[in-house]
Amino acid sequence: MNQTEKVIGIEELNHGRFKTFPFSHDFCITCGLCSSSCPASGIDGFDPRMLVRMVGLGFEDEVVNAKWPWICTMCGKCEHVCPMEIRIPDLVRNIRGLRDRDKVPGVLQKGLEAALKTGNNLALPKEDFIYIVEDVAGEIAEEPGFEGFKVPIDQKGANLLTTIHNKLVNTHTEDLKYWWKIFHAAKEDWTITSENWEGTSWGLFTGDDEAVKIMAGRIVEQMKRLEIKNLLWPE
Amino acid sequence: MFDLLIKYIKEGRIKLDKSRFKVPATYHDPCNYGRKAENIFGHAYYDEPRWILDQCLENWVDLYPTKENQLCCGGGGGTLTTGYNAERILYGKKKMGQIRATGAEMIVVPCHSCHGQLNSIKKEYGMENLTVKYLWELVADCLIL
Repeated sequence: MNQTEKVIGIEELNHGRFKTFPFSHDFCITCGLCSSSCPASGIDGFDPRMLVRMVGLGFEDEVVNAKWPWICTMCGKCEHVCPMEIRIPDLVRNIRGLRDRDKVPGVLQKGLEAALKTGNNLALPKEDFIYIVEDVAGEIAEEPGFEGFKVPIDQKGANLLTTIHNKLVNTHTEDLKYWWKIFHAAKEDWTITSENWEGTSWGLFTGDDEAVKIMAGRIVEQMKRLEIKNLLWPE
Repeated sequence: MFDLLIKYIKEGRIKLDKSRFKVPATYHDPCNYGRKAENIFGHAYYDEPRWILDQCLENWVDLYPTKENQLCCGGGGGTLTTGYNAERILYGKKKMGQIRATGAEMIVVPCHSCHGQLNSIKKEYGMENLTVKYLWELVADCLIL
């Protein structure tokens, strides 16, 4: 993005939606500490100070259509050094949320829609999920010290519920084993759920608060249904 | 997650063998457990993972800068899934330089995104031999049964 090459008329500026942003971006003193601290400064010309100023000035279409908010990881270094305490990562996330959903880059929106519809980003059916986790549990049971290991599914009244990152029942099944082995060694009374086990919440990345609420709400629902008090949500 | 592991260790529910990994190691603070957690929950998890590392390893050093000044790995915010891969790989350059400067052969992370990003970019920076390990993987690998 290089908007310095283009003259933008004042009539094109729009504060309509940005004015509801609660991030104090209008208090920016243009000191540039954000840009100095940002590990992504310069990538595709990214400049957080300029982004904040563009929001302040009402360059709505430009920032919403820019690649910048999607290159930024919202890591929070800018906010950490900002003397005016402008919440730049939240600002970025809200800009992401203003994009038309069919223009969200990559697989983010597709994965999120699958999760909202089926309970997980992969749209993995319950039977396949159970087959995979029991298969991995069988592998653990063959290792010395883990004889008889089983994965507890939908265990009512368990002490601890743990969520699962979809990649661990997809391409990285080996990575399921570490926590499970620790639980076994610690004699933890734990469980996973057969549905709505998804630990990721891509609405966090697409700027979709409603989706985040739904995904978190489903985990809470499972805890209530199974009467479980403790949650491990490593995603 | 950190609290649970610490509880298991302090209560003696798991025992760990510190002598299994001889390679020099280092640790990366994910933004979500550091700066983000500090902002949202009023507590950043900086000391807890380091205490756990002390229970698993004899030989680890911190990155520089660290904790609240830690550099993001470049894999956060969904950037592993946006398709902007060239930008994401370039983003990770500073992180890889930071790791290289410690001489570590293993980096421990407590985050799925950081783990995915570091594994995905290490080859680009000639660090194929760097082991990227989940913190809970390290604990599982050190279990005395």
